[in-house]
Amino acid sequence: MEDEAQHPSNPTPDQTLDDPTIHQKHASMLERLSNLHQTRLQNSLTRKSDSHSSNPSFESTQSFLSRFSDSKRSIESQLAGCRLTTATTDPNSLKSQLEAVAISIAELEKLVAENSYFLPSYEVRSSLKSISDLKQTLENLNSELIPKKKFAFRNKAAKKDQSSAAKGAAIVKPDPHLINKTSFEVRDSPGFRNKEGQVLVKDFKGLEVGEFALSDLNSCEVKLMGCARALFVHRLQNCRVYAGPILGSILIEEVEGCVFVLASHQIRIHHAKGSDFYLRVRSRPIIEDCSRVRFAPYCLCYKGIEEDLRESSLNEEMGNWANVDDFRWLRAVQSPNWSILPENERVGTIEISNSETGIEES
Amino acid sequence: MGLLSIIRKIKRKEKEMRILMVGLDNSGKTTIVLKINGEDTSVISPTLGFNIKTITYDKYTLNIWDVGGQRTIRSYWRNYFEQTDGLVWVVDSSDLRRLDDCKMELDNLLKEERLSGASLLIFANKQDIKGALTPAEIAKVLNLEAMDKTRHWKIVGCSAYTGEGLLEGFDWLVQDIASRIYVP
Repeated sequence: MEDEAQHPSNPTPDQTLDDPTIHQKHASMLERLSNLHQTRLQNSLTRKSDSHSSNPSFESTQSFLSRFSDSKRSIESQLAGCRLTTATTDPNSLKSQLEAVAISIAELEKLVAENSYFLPSYEVRSSLKSISDLKQTLENLNSELIPKKKFAFRNKAAKKDQSSAAKGAAIVKPDPHLINKTSFEVRDSPGFRNKEGQVLVKDFKGLEVGEFALSDLNSCEVKLMGCARALFVHRLQNCRVYAGPILGSILIEEVEGCVFVLASHQIRIHHAKGSDFYLRVRSRPIIEDCSRVRFAPYCLCYKGIEEDLRESSLNEEMGNWANVDDFRWLRAVQSPNWSILPENERVGTIEISNSETGIEES
Repeated sequence: MGLLSIIRKIKRKEKEMRILMVGLDNSGKTTIVLKINGEDTSVISPTLGFNIKTITYDKYTLNIWDVGGQRTIRSYWRNYFEQTDGLVWVVDSSDLRRLDDCKMELDNLLKEERLSGASLLIFANKQDIKGALTPAEIAKVLNLEAMDKTRHWKIVGCSAYTGEGLLEGFDWLVQDIASRIYVP
């Protein structure tokens, strides 16, 4: 079209010569356009007949809008229903309810998509906005339920642990099929394992300590003095762990009802429940799949700790204990999974010494 | 054809390589990248998301994608597979307990078709920590010998803390990629 308008007003000798070709081009373009229109019509017809059973067709904005607002209202009442029943129903049925809502929202979205070809763009935009609002509400509801979901999941895991614990000490050995596959046995790191109700003391002073592991401890008090390079903590219940500076990183997994007093360059906490962490960290501590964990500044004291902290460049309080990143909560608002431990609930300075009775590393 | 061959040509001209760093959380990926670039490694927070570093190495430009390894975000690794020339798998050689986790994630990664052409460098990191497994032991645990014969791979012991081994690893990786895509 534009070609046609331009050429007569601005003819050049070349174009006048080419005129027949331009005409030809123009004609073929018109033909293509009409073909396109035809296909579009056909498509919309097929779409109509396809969706005839479930979505009666209506190429009128009015009927679309009334249908849309009906569905929207029903989804909203479903959502409100979920919120009301949260307290009474068990998590499973609630979950299926929420899934049903998610499906309804997806259907509504499909409805908008199918009809978007004739709707005014304002209606498309406002419908999509309503849908994204509904999705947001659903997501919020879902996240309110997450603690419950996690609780169920961990319960299962705990059961599994118990059954494998029943088989005996095999659980601390490396994965058996790994050994079979590679015919290579991975040794254990030094550490405290499989203890209950004991005081475990270790002084790293004068030793060259690499990594140290605490695993499968129940109701123990662990006191580690001096510096180590890395600390691995796995499956602790109702324990108190006090440790001097760790030059590298600390990895904590599956702990519950514990108190940790730790200093390190990096700290990662996975699957912790109802535990308090008194930390000094050079970088931001992170949590993943945690709930009810609380944070406070480091408060440990033993003879020579100042020197140990200096040696590990941890003598300076950088305030990072409060800069927790929750990998399960990537939003600007505060994560519901962790909080700052109120000052009046914090323990005072903890003093430990190696003259105390205790069991040396086994 | 078309676009892809144009991209290849541009890449060849600028001698660019795209390198993807992955591995479990706490293995030291970010520390390796910063150390090799001569930056301060004393304050590094666990990576939420990813970092990109462009480093000039020999006559090549390396675009290094350092992607966070926390379990929650491992599912996003796939978003970075496209156009990867070199894959760096980083292992915390002192984390004995999670070696089977490490093996499983690596096995999954190597099944990925989009990475099938990439050279694979395995860094057995944290060799400076007493009690860490040696590269030979890591190779056994990860069963590297059983890998697809067409894969170009190498395992190198290193310490991102001291810097030891990092250049050896990257030298091999860059040379291997160069011999594949920048044939004269």
